Amino acid sequence: MSKLTLTQAINAGLRKAMEDDPKVVLLGEDIGTLGGVFRVTDGLMKDFGSHRVIDTPLAESAIIGTAVGLAYRGYRPVCEIQFDGFIYPGFDQIVSQVAKLHVRTHGKVTMPLTIRVPFGGGIGSPEHHSESPEAYFVHTSGLRVISASNPQDAYTMLRQAIACDDPVLFFEPKRRYHSKGEVDLDADLSRAPAMGAARVVSAGTDATLVTYGPLVPTALDAAKAAADDGVSLEVIDLRSLSPIDYAPIVESVRRTGRLVVTHEASETLGLGAEIVAAVTERCFNYLEAAPVRVTGFDIPYPPSKLEKHHLPDLDRILDGVDRVLGRPNSLSGLEG
Amino acid sequence: MIEEFRLPDLGEGLTESEIVAWHVAVGDTVALNQVIGEVETAKAVVELPSPFAGTVTAITHEPGTTVEVGEVIIAFEVEGAAGASGPDAEAPQKRVPTLVGYGADPESSSRPARRARAFAGAPATTTTTTGAASAPAGLPAVLPAVLPETPPAPSARVQADRPRSTPPVRKLARDMGINLELLAGSGERGLITRGDVVAFAGDRPHGAGTPVAVPASSVLPARTAGDAAREVRTPIKGVRKFTAAAMVQSAFTAPHVTEFLTVDVTAGMEFLARLRGSRAFADVKLTPLTLAAKAVCIGIARQPSLNSRWDEAAQEIVTMNYVNLGIAAATPRGLIVPNIKDAQALGMHGLAEAIGGLSATARSGKTPPQDLAGGTFSITNIGVFGIDAGTPILNPGEAGILALGAVRNTPWEYQGGIALRQVMTLSLSFDHRLVDGEQGSRFLADVGAVMADPAMALALS
Amino acid sequence: MLDTSSDSGPQPGIHQIIAADGTLHADEVLSPFVADVSDEQLVQLYRDMVVIRRIDTEATALQRQGQLALWPPMLGQEASQIGSVRALEEDDFIFPTYRENGVAYCRGADLAGIMSTWRGTANTGWDPHEFNMATPQIIIGAQTLHATGYAMGLTMDGKESLSIAYLGDGATSQGDVHESMVFAASFQAPVIFFCQNNHWAISEPVGLQAHSPIAGRAPGYGIPSLRVDGNDVLAVLAATRWAGARARSGGGPSFIEAVTYRMGAHTTADDPTRYRGVTELEEWGAKDPIARVRALLTARGKLDAGREAEIAGQADAVAAELRAACINLPDPDPMALFDNVYTGDHAILDRQRDHFARYLAGFAATESATTTLEGSRS
Repeated sequence: MSKLTLTQAINAGLRKAMEDDPKVVLLGEDIGTLGGVFRVTDGLMKDFGSHRVIDTPLAESAIIGTAVGLAYRGYRPVCEIQFDGFIYPGFDQIVSQVAKLHVRTHGKVTMPLTIRVPFGGGIGSPEHHSESPEAYFVHTSGLRVISASNPQDAYTMLRQAIACDDPVLFFEPKRRYHSKGEVDLDADLSRAPAMGAARVVSAGTDATLVTYGPLVPTALDAAKAAADDGVSLEVIDLRSLSPIDYAPIVESVRRTGRLVVTHEASETLGLGAEIVAAVTERCFNYLEAAPVRVTGFDIPYPPSKLEKHHLPDLDRILDGVDRVLGRPNSLSGLEG
Repeated sequence: MIEEFRLPDLGEGLTESEIVAWHVAVGDTVALNQVIGEVETAKAVVELPSPFAGTVTAITHEPGTTVEVGEVIIAFEVEGAAGASGPDAEAPQKRVPTLVGYGADPESSSRPARRARAFAGAPATTTTTTGAASAPAGLPAVLPAVLPETPPAPSARVQADRPRSTPPVRKLARDMGINLELLAGSGERGLITRGDVVAFAGDRPHGAGTPVAVPASSVLPARTAGDAAREVRTPIKGVRKFTAAAMVQSAFTAPHVTEFLTVDVTAGMEFLARLRGSRAFADVKLTPLTLAAKAVCIGIARQPSLNSRWDEAAQEIVTMNYVNLGIAAATPRGLIVPNIKDAQALGMHGLAEAIGGLSATARSGKTPPQDLAGGTFSITNIGVFGIDAGTPILNPGEAGILALGAVRNTPWEYQGGIALRQVMTLSLSFDHRLVDGEQGSRFLADVGAVMADPAMALALS
Repeated sequence: MLDTSSDSGPQPGIHQIIAADGTLHADEVLSPFVADVSDEQLVQLYRDMVVIRRIDTEATALQRQGQLALWPPMLGQEASQIGSVRALEEDDFIFPTYRENGVAYCRGADLAGIMSTWRGTANTGWDPHEFNMATPQIIIGAQTLHATGYAMGLTMDGKESLSIAYLGDGATSQGDVHESMVFAASFQAPVIFFCQNNHWAISEPVGLQAHSPIAGRAPGYGIPSLRVDGNDVLAVLAATRWAGARARSGGGPSFIEAVTYRMGAHTTADDPTRYRGVTELEEWGAKDPIARVRALLTARGKLDAGREAEIAGQADAVAAELRAACINLPDPDPMALFDNVYTGDHAILDRQRDHFARYLAGFAATESATTTLEGSRS
């Protein structure tokens, strides 16, 4: 076992994938010589060459579009979009081409692309560097979308994503890049949890708290604080956003009867909306209270001096937990 | 066979065109795609290629006439089977092609209707079924293997399934103090319905110390001679299961103390008789219960601990400043205890009216749930069964319960001698966590005093 | 509007070998690349053009008869399609627009497969890997990036083959096309950008897309460019060979602007009379790609009435085959909705598939469950 940061774990995952399969090539801006603006691809160009770790011109649509061409040619491209807010120029190639080519050609052409996207806020940056665009891609059929919250998951899930023959969007919580965790670098991929599996990261009995990516550590902190208050929270890390693994969520809510979902992305049509709808459909007769979402507001991401108010934190999450438990909370007495 | 050619739509949503010229005549042999005529759209003249190879049999519109899209304009005699060489002659080309496709479905003028369904219980009309939908029966064999609704999680931590109900029904049960764990649900796959909760509340008897009208469902079969079973087993479930649990919870949570007071209530009965004669009370039924209800309210005002609640979770004793007075009543399913809200604010007439109303509603089995919730003190009239006294069990959550015995003509001390007086025993059980012996005793003494001499109500208030 | 002079000779800057009247010119740049083309081979090119025009006519009629949702005519662009496709090797990979149905036919695409896109029974109808041609692309310009990426892959593989991206004049306004030229130049990718300037993007004239000749854009990216008469099959053949030679020898990307004309509508439900005049059609009609080769071959005694009839007969046979293939395409099964969205399981989609199957199974079998739309039955 090694203690690695999230960045190092992703780097190790890329390295292993490239060692295992000569068809894996990386494309992105500043990933080669510089090793990436977050140093995620540090050292890879030196070891694998500039024909496999490709510094591309500054054009996101082309990064994705040429990756499509490489996939036709039998390669397994791993594209990096430097920041979440810059994915939009590539949006058309992703949703009109990458997501659809398999179905368009009756399965004759596969798009085994992996698109890595540092996402989320909490890093004190100016506009467009703290977005949470995952819902657009979860809503796009033909794509798989995952987000690892810790170094071990990042290492295995990235390798699984690259090995997967479907296109995968890999959202990396950038504010957790420096978080450390134990990583088993020799983990057998075939024995690791499935890429599409959610995980109960902390067991509990009073309410179910579902989240992913950057808020998983926040949720775990909230669970610890809640325990001091006599409330037992069960925390579930979704890991996979498309498809969502409902089995452990449903099993949990049938026990607790109470659901809270939290994410950085805006409330309306975020993943919380989908999860609340699906869980209500499947667990209606087990619910003790209306499910609660604790999310970013329906605003463009705010300036860094305000972001701490926009991002769900421990207190705001526990306020939502109070609400679902019927305890006094900030909205007590408010109708609807 | 005859094939008809209808004017196609030529784009831009045009609905009609004018025939400019025919290049063929009736009787001409025409090849496939041969230009047979020209039509004029708003801006241009468009050639029509023949969709058939055959002989022209009819030209239905002359040059210069305006024809609507979809109308037959020319017909051919063709060889071969139908359908192989053109669009179905029965179906006029109604979809109007656009730049990028066939175009939208035309709006229908006929009444919308559902397709016929194949399974039993499928509605014939578009009305929705009420309540839980039943699973379709009689599906064709082509149906793929049934997938579980949600695969059960293989977790070792899963306990027995929690009771299934809907959020509004859960709230109702909570308000009524009913534990869903003990109900059997009558809905789909054991779903606990609102009806289940209300019916259950109606079955809940009051106090184990009082004889309970046995619900019909648990009547034992009459013993028969011969090969009758020596024992009969009845499953513990439903009403009886809940009742038992409630009694256990009450009996083993609240330390019960029962005190007895036997009083000469002759004056009280005379008082009631006098009231019955007055016009103001002509419309209500006055009984010893009515007087007892008033006495209890007066007693509670002086001994509020009899009207309190032990809140274990909050570690607080809650003393209510209102009396929701529960009155045990007989129903077709057994005893229920609906309560009179804010009984302390009612006078004799109000109490009599309320008690009469509760009884009538209870007898007809229509007691609404809110009447069964929120009680603070209860009275049970065991005297109607001819019983003198008992050790009633508290209604869970209440601090006191008073049982009224029968009124009997009894030799009693009266003005220094022995006389036949109307005598009644009052049995008071109270929760010794909430009520001291002194408090309970004083309360019982007050109640007895008012029953014995209603004028004491003035002295004690 | 661009100059559409009716002068049949070579225009300044536009390379040409066969003039509109069928006479031959020597072109310094192009002629060497077709010096080897025999008369017999020219007859084959002629045959190709006649056949694909006949396909186009038949498909247009099929749409008029309600058998196709739409059809994008290639009328007038036969030389551009045939000249380019016949310059390619089998292992070159083609990334077309949605109008290159002549190219697809020549590559070996099944007629039913070609028709399926336009009839609506499938999104697209062939296996790209079978004859190295991607399926029709509707997003304008997107395919240029795919071609560039493919070519980058060829370089990584050390191959001598190339990729070709077909695009129109309208596409040269799209960002993806420019990004692809940036990448192609940066990585010296062996890709041919084959632009058919057919003068119209639906109703918008090429002058709206470009204020100077389109061929002039590529050199700005460092990509050599040729402007050729797109109605001259030999010029197109030569230009594509020129670009191919560059690509195969490590010379990187090339750009060809084939100047041609969209004689038909954008698609079969378009009405071009709303935005262009009859004069223009007549002018370009005089520059017909097939007529000039007919004139040339006839003058050389290589095309007599018998040959013409035989070629026309072959074209008719293909057309009949096309009609039969189109009309007999079966409507897809409703459950096909869920096929091929992913390569593996996807729990949400699988659940929807199961629920939909139950829903369909619930109907009484009194009618076909495959369609409720009028007009989509054949």
